[in-house]
Formats: sequence, structure tokens, C-alpha cells
Amino acid sequence: MLLDVMQAGGGFILLEGNIISGEDVHVLGFESPETQVCAGLDSSSVQRLHFHKGFPDPLGWTCRSSFTVERFTSQHITQLIKDTQHAQASVLVVDSLSMVLRHHDPVVFCQTLQELRNGGVIKTIIGLLHSDLHQQGIVGIVCHLAGTVISVAPADNERLSVAKTTRRTKSGKVMQEEEYFSVSEDAALSVQAKPRQPGHVQRERDVSEADPTSNLTFNLRLSEDERKAKEKVALPFVFSQQKKSALLRPTPGSGRIVYEPDANDDFDEEDPDDDLDV
Amino acid sequence: MAAPVRGMIGSTSIGNTTSFQKKTRSKLVSIPGTRPSVQNGQLLVSSGVSSLDYVIGGGLAVGTLLLVEEDRYDSYSRMLLKYFLAEGVVCGHELFLASARDHPDDIMQELPSPIVDDVAGMKISEGQSQPSDPENPDTMKIAWRYQNQPKVQTALASSVRFGHYYDVSKTMEPELRQAAKCHSFYQLQETPVVTASSPLPSPYHSLLKSIQTVIRKEGFDGSTPQSKVRNVLRLGLHSLGSVLWGDDVCCKDNPAHCHALTTFLYILRGLLRTSLSVAMVTVPSHLTQNRAVMGRIIRLSDTAIALESFKGSEKETNPLYKDYHGLLHVRQLPRLNCLSCEVPDTKDLAFKLKRKQFTIERLHLPPDLSETTVSP
Repeated sequence: MLLDVMQAGGGFILLEGNIISGEDVHVLGFESPETQVCAGLDSSSVQRLHFHKGFPDPLGWTCRSSFTVERFTSQHITQLIKDTQHAQASVLVVDSLSMVLRHHDPVVFCQTLQELRNGGVIKTIIGLLHSDLHQQGIVGIVCHLAGTVISVAPADNERLSVAKTTRRTKSGKVMQEEEYFSVSEDAALSVQAKPRQPGHVQRERDVSEADPTSNLTFNLRLSEDERKAKEKVALPFVFSQQKKSALLRPTPGSGRIVYEPDANDDFDEEDPDDDLDV
Repeated sequence: MAAPVRGMIGSTSIGNTTSFQKKTRSKLVSIPGTRPSVQNGQLLVSSGVSSLDYVIGGGLAVGTLLLVEEDRYDSYSRMLLKYFLAEGVVCGHELFLASARDHPDDIMQELPSPIVDDVAGMKISEGQSQPSDPENPDTMKIAWRYQNQPKVQTALASSVRFGHYYDVSKTMEPELRQAAKCHSFYQLQETPVVTASSPLPSPYHSLLKSIQTVIRKEGFDGSTPQSKVRNVLRLGLHSLGSVLWGDDVCCKDNPAHCHALTTFLYILRGLLRTSLSVAMVTVPSHLTQNRAVMGRIIRLSDTAIALESFKGSEKETNPLYKDYHGLLHVRQLPRLNCLSCEVPDTKDLAFKLKRKQFTIERLHLPPDLSETTVSP
């Protein structure tokens, strides 16, 4: 299930991609009229697109719409898709999940989405959610349910918008991407690479590269001869390789004391003062 | 005041001056895949990850509940659940898997395959304490007496090997998997039971009923005399408390069923204590809006750990964490029939998921070799 979390309207470029790949697309439109959605699609694509009118009367007050918000249950939607011809694995696009969430219990709504996902009739669900219209908790649970979340926001640059995609695969890998895109007048999407941000990164690196040994009154550098002489200096406790490895080998009695008896330790029992002239 | 008695199961305190006697079983229960704890004599099973066993005191005690707080995208907690179930398959325990989002059969098919030979285990224990070769060109010139000292021990391992190692890149063979008996509960396929008098919402109620039926029928609580060898039941409950279980603790500040999950855990723990079973429950705690509910849930479980993954957060680019995939927080350790529990010596634990191992290591600060000096 794909979820589109947006702060401004739009998002119908996805439709064109799906129709081109040959799938049936069912659109539950609660927020935009059919003409706006189908603008720019050629006739063969329009045949595969089934628009269920909810706008301008999503709650059915004036009985002008074919699909109202209350009918967003798994039985109704599955029936709706089966009623159309060639009911293969289709894609369900919900123009605004926010509209549905306002009038349904969030727990029931999430269970409906889960039933639709596992029903077998629908292959992908693409939903649009206005994240600023709901509490943090509700946005959290819907995003947790989705396999892919695309968050759209205006970028610093006026003309571009940034889309952050988080995709979760079945094996548990998470992939995140950030893309900049702009939508032209005739609803054509152009994705661009990340624009270079001037200044920030380069400035930090310059500061740390200043050499500390440059402006001093004493010399901290070594010439080549001086370095060679330094390496030739015999350090104390530098032993030959055999003595090093002998010392490194763990001996069984490493606390041994080796003592060679001194001249004064030669104690003669019969002559304790050592003054007999014998 | 009596000190906790260290000893094997079955030994009465002969040499003690107090009259305090630990309630122990009269004979040693020998079930494959379990061993008695050296600290308090409980019967332990491995959780599938040997470093996690070390952190929680040797293993999971039979009759207790392990609560895992999920990371943001549920990748590592799901991995831990799969390790837990795979360990059950390899040891020959019975399994019970309940899930609301993915079908239990899908989870069972993703279990990692065990590494059969002992080579992996041997290499891991050898690599840590290997001294460097004296002929090695980067032996130390001045401090050469220290070159044989072992490096800082970051990996947590005990001397006794308990549990198995798994290769995450391969899935378990179907023959091995089907040799283990697995009961599954998929919330989507259950018919809702109208329970007007129960304090629990319908999915939790049916799940508890199902667990109770399995325990009674297979004789884990000793009700039916078992002629066959006694066995342990491993329960894996995935993502309890999420919306798909019919619980709204994740989406509202004041949920309508604010005591649903706590009641469920209380009853589940009662069922576990009276049977030879051990449960692992994962909860999406990052979605719960009310912090007090999470505190209650932790208190009601025995062992509680939390996984925090670096993916998607600003810690991902922190150089301190570059070797690891996330942090592990130990929220609670149980005191089972003893006065104090064994706590790990450090609270800074980080985990990383490699192909052959899920390691949990002590997070230690490397020496600060940066150019900029911080003036005090």
C-alpha cells in the first residue's frame, strides 16, 4: 500500500504511471472533480480509469454522488471493483483518506484497509492523506500500516518541492530517498537531483585545515637529516627480537625473583666475625 | 536477611544458618533446549540470540514474558521474533504464532536457517583474544610489552554456549520447519466473538481463548497426563497493541479501551506461570500516545527491552554509531524467586545485524582524537 502524505493538493501524476502499465485504476474521488483528474490522459487510458464520483457531495446530502464516504467498507469497495468488467488485480486510488478518516473510527478504518490489502482483488492501494488535518497518533498509525510513505513538502527553493520516500520491504529492509520535483502547467512531473546548497559544508572544512605549526617563533618541523638521526637514537629498553619474544611469552612463574648471592652472604658457621687468621 | 542461594535445583540449604528454604522442584526437569540458570535455578530457554541471552541473565526463564518494544520500521523486532521461533524449531519446542498484519505462515517461511557446524561459533570466540604476531610489521616499538594484551572486550558472550547461530541470508529448510509443530492465529481470519461481558475487545479475547485451548489440549500445564516427553511451548505475539488488533491505544491519548492491553498481559502472564511456556510479545511503543500506558505494560511483563534503530533519525550520521544499526535499552529484568537480579554492567548497549549473527555490544567511546580542543 502506498500512502501519499501531502500538505498541498495534487498527486495525480501517479495515475498516468499506473494506467500506462496496463492496470485498472479505480479512483474514489472525494475532493476533486473528475475533469481535473482525467485532464491530460488519452482516450485508451481513460477507458481503464474508473472514476467513482464523490465530489462535490461526499456525504450524500444532495444524493448527487455515486459513492459516499459511509460506503468506504471492504464489502462495498470489493463489490464495486467486481462490478466493473475485467476485474483483474487493480489499483485503488483514494483521493483523500482524510475525508474518510473524519467520518470513520480509525481502528475500523485501518482494519478495512488491511482487509482490502489481503482481499486479493486489489493489488495496490494509493491514498492521499493531509497530515496537518489529523492528530499525530492517527497519522502515525496510518503511516505504520503503509508499505511506502511519500511525504511531500515545499523545499527552500520556491519552485521545487521535496518528496521523501520511505519504503519497507518484506524482509525488513528500509530504503529512504529524497527527490526534488516540480509540476508544470500541464501536469507534467519533472524530477530533479538535489540542488547544491551553497556555502555550508565548505566553510567548515576550511577552518580545520589551518596548520598549527606555521606561525611560531620556534621550529617544530624536522628536516630529512634530523628525522634520520632521530630514528637512529637507541632507546632504553629496546631489546633484540629474541629477548622481546622471550619476555612476551607467558612464563609459568612470572613472579620469580632471581638472586645471586653476594660476597657478604657467605656465612661461615665456625668463624662468624671472619677475623680468625687460619 | 537471607541472601540469595546460589545452587543447583534440588539442593536444600544444608550448611545455611537460616531456616530460609528456596522453593525448588524436587527433581531436575530435563527438557531438550533448556538448562538451569546458574543464578537462581530457574529453567532457561535461549532466545535465539546468544548476546541477548547474556544481557537478560542467561536466557528466558520458562513461564515468563519477554516484551520487545519495536523500532520505528519494525525490522529488528521482527528479526528477533524470527530468531526466537527458529530457536524453538531447532530445539524441538512447540510454537504458537499470532499476528494481525502478516499471515503467520509468511513469518514462518522467513525463519533464518541454522548454522549447523561449530565453525562459526569457534571463530567468534577465537577472534577476540588472539594475540598479534611478533613478526607483524605494526608491532609496537616502545610499548611492546602490551602488544599481547587483548583489545577492549566489546562483545558480550558467556563461556558456555547456549543457543544456536543463524544465517540470515538463507531461510530455513521446509523439512526442518515442518518437523516442528506450530499453531497459528491470524487475526484477520478470526470471526469476531460478541463478548458483551468481557473487559477485553474481541481480538484479544479470542487470542487468549486460543492460547488457553492449546495449552490445555497439548498438556503444557500438566492437566492431561503426558505419556510423551515434556516440552516447552514458545508463544510469539507480533505487534500487540497496534490498530489491527482492534486496540486504539496507539492512536488516541485517552483510548476507549485503555486497560485492554494491560488486562491481556495480566491474563497471559497467569497462563504462562501455570504452564511450561515462554512468550515473546512485540509492541509498537513508538506509536502509543500515552506514556503511562507504556509504563504499565512494562511493569506487567517480566523482561522488557526496547530497540531503537538509527534508520531515519539524525543518529544515523553520528560517527559514534557508525558501526551499529541501533541501540538496545534494557527496561526491566525480572527477579524470579530471588531478591536481586543479575544486571549487565553497562547500560549503553548497541546492536548490529550481521549476516551470521545479531550482536549486542557495549558501546564504548573511542579515544577523542579530534583536532579541535574543547576548553573546560
